[in-house]
Amino acid sequence: MRLDFHKNHRLLFTVVAFGFLGLSYLVAIGPAISVQASNTPLPGSRSLNALEQQGLEIYLAEGCVYCHTQQVRALPQDTLRYGRASVAADFARLAPTDVWRQTPRVLGSERTGPDLSNVGARQPSAVWHYIHLYQPRAVTAGSIMPAFPWLFDVRDSAGPTDMTVPIPASVAPARGVVVARPEAKALVAYLLAL
Amino acid sequence: MHRPLTVSKNPITEVMGADPGLTRLVWWYLASATAWLVFGTLIGEYLGLKFTAPDLGVAPWLSFGRLRPVHTNVVFWGWTSLAMLGLALWVVPRTSQAPIYSLRLARVSLWLINTAVVAGVWSLVSGVTNGAGEFREFIWPVMGLFAAGLAVLAFDLYRTIARRGTEEIYISNWYILAALLWTLVLVSIGYAPGIQRGLADTVIQGYYMHQGVGMWFTPMVLGLTYYFLPKLLNKPIYSYSLGVLAFWTQMVFYTMIGAHHFIYSPTPWLLQTVAIVFSVGMLVPVVAGTGNFLLTMRGSSRTIGVSYSLPFILVGVVCYFLGSAQGTLEAFRSLNQVWHFTDFTVGHSHLTMYGFVNFLIWGGVYALLPRLTGREPPHLAVGVHFWLALVGMAAYVGALSIGGTLKGLSWLSGAPFMDSVRAMESFWVGRAVGGTLMFLSHLVFARNLWQMRPDRAAEAAA
Repeated sequence: MRLDFHKNHRLLFTVVAFGFLGLSYLVAIGPAISVQASNTPLPGSRSLNALEQQGLEIYLAEGCVYCHTQQVRALPQDTLRYGRASVAADFARLAPTDVWRQTPRVLGSERTGPDLSNVGARQPSAVWHYIHLYQPRAVTAGSIMPAFPWLFDVRDSAGPTDMTVPIPASVAPARGVVVARPEAKALVAYLLAL
Repeated sequence: MHRPLTVSKNPITEVMGADPGLTRLVWWYLASATAWLVFGTLIGEYLGLKFTAPDLGVAPWLSFGRLRPVHTNVVFWGWTSLAMLGLALWVVPRTSQAPIYSLRLARVSLWLINTAVVAGVWSLVSGVTNGAGEFREFIWPVMGLFAAGLAVLAFDLYRTIARRGTEEIYISNWYILAALLWTLVLVSIGYAPGIQRGLADTVIQGYYMHQGVGMWFTPMVLGLTYYFLPKLLNKPIYSYSLGVLAFWTQMVFYTMIGAHHFIYSPTPWLLQTVAIVFSVGMLVPVVAGTGNFLLTMRGSSRTIGVSYSLPFILVGVVCYFLGSAQGTLEAFRSLNQVWHFTDFTVGHSHLTMYGFVNFLIWGGVYALLPRLTGREPPHLAVGVHFWLALVGMAAYVGALSIGGTLKGLSWLSGAPFMDSVRAMESFWVGRAVGGTLMFLSHLVFARNLWQMRPDRAAEAAA
């Protein structure tokens, strides 16, 4: 066979496929392996507990990442608002969820809402988060975040173990009390762990 | 002087649909693609409205977070992919001067891809996501179906090219088959276990989300245009060599730039710098490609004016240049500080995926289907589609580009975050208006496509 890309389809498409594979190794697989080799969590940090891990899964399923990043860039506009710049070690504990699902991609790509890297420190009140998830506009005027009422139940009266959410009257249901479902509890636990 | 509002367009009298089986298959690819277009952009339209009316439609399966990936994945893997492949099923055998290797394999592929998108939509709406990283939201059994569809088609088209009646492999086939092979490699790496812990996954994500666009959609539509443009203008491409130069530089430069989606993130700084350098390098294939197409069009403005498919191709080529140049600028650290994380990026993705990729597809569909089925769409309706889509896109991209810039400047100024939300309000209305025009144009396109459907009675008679 002639060494002519124009006439030798086997040569052309072999170079095309393996050339791309080689470049991909150089720019993706190789760097990924090297990053993974030095993958160490921050000393003194802890893993998510079972409830928080469940919260992370709800965070992903509800698509929170499409409007909230979790990466603070080493730029004044970020560090003044969100605190210390992120480092690789902050993400070291992220790993594939199970055999069906890959690694949670919490870094995100867009900030329709603010970064959440340390929202647990900036907004430590669980009650605030419950109200905010039930109806964001009850606590932040002008917010365009979706409301997540399906993370809550509306009951006639709360049981002794129920987490009742004090919803402002303007957005509260006409009757009954708003009680956090397990999903809301998990999600808030996750947010507070950030 | 009174000038008419519309220009009369030349009718298409040429008939090329010698093989009714292939014609019907191309039709089914384009018809299912168009169904995904209408569905996917209806979702997009609805999501756009949510920015101005956040309490519109409050239910899990109507929520922004679940439907946003439905919109992107449906228009990627459902509409755009199937439409490009439908056109490629005609272009590859035609330019290879050989019958397609197997119609049955191509039919299998159509089923695999459609099944993948249906399953993917169902899983995302149910809250099952692979990890919520852009274009990697389908879990692997679903994306595996899609990849299997591509593998079957890659084999089918490779065998067709191998049995070509010409000595040389026409440049369209370089681009089209390369796109299939690159995307198979890409999906394999994107879903490969073992390289996903910690930030390693982010390195792969930057690579994957970037090549998913630039090694799939870009080379596919460029390959198609290397057939449709000379065919419609009835003259050879300005420079075959420029097409080859653009091909190799696309492969080498584009592959290196995925990390520019994570500028200033904790991913390796060197990787980010490499990505920025090659983002500038991308001007080589982009200028070579657009220059080649524009120089081919030079002196043919009358032909373009009286054709109803060539204006789509002209817009596609211009947006290819504009969108790519914009991408280069966004990669610079100085400008990235302003634009990253803002709506500017969403404007950019629509200028490229819509202005560039969609317009080239539409140009191809309007050029090909009438020649295959002998049925033309009403010329006026094609014009309505063109102008609604073009004006809608200009409004959409314009609003988000200006608004996104103001948002970025607001962040830089250190103002409270909510200031940037309020600054966007009127621009989100502008986006919704543009998006509505775009969606309406798709309804017109769907109707036009139906007008071009294969005529069973005529087939039976022939």
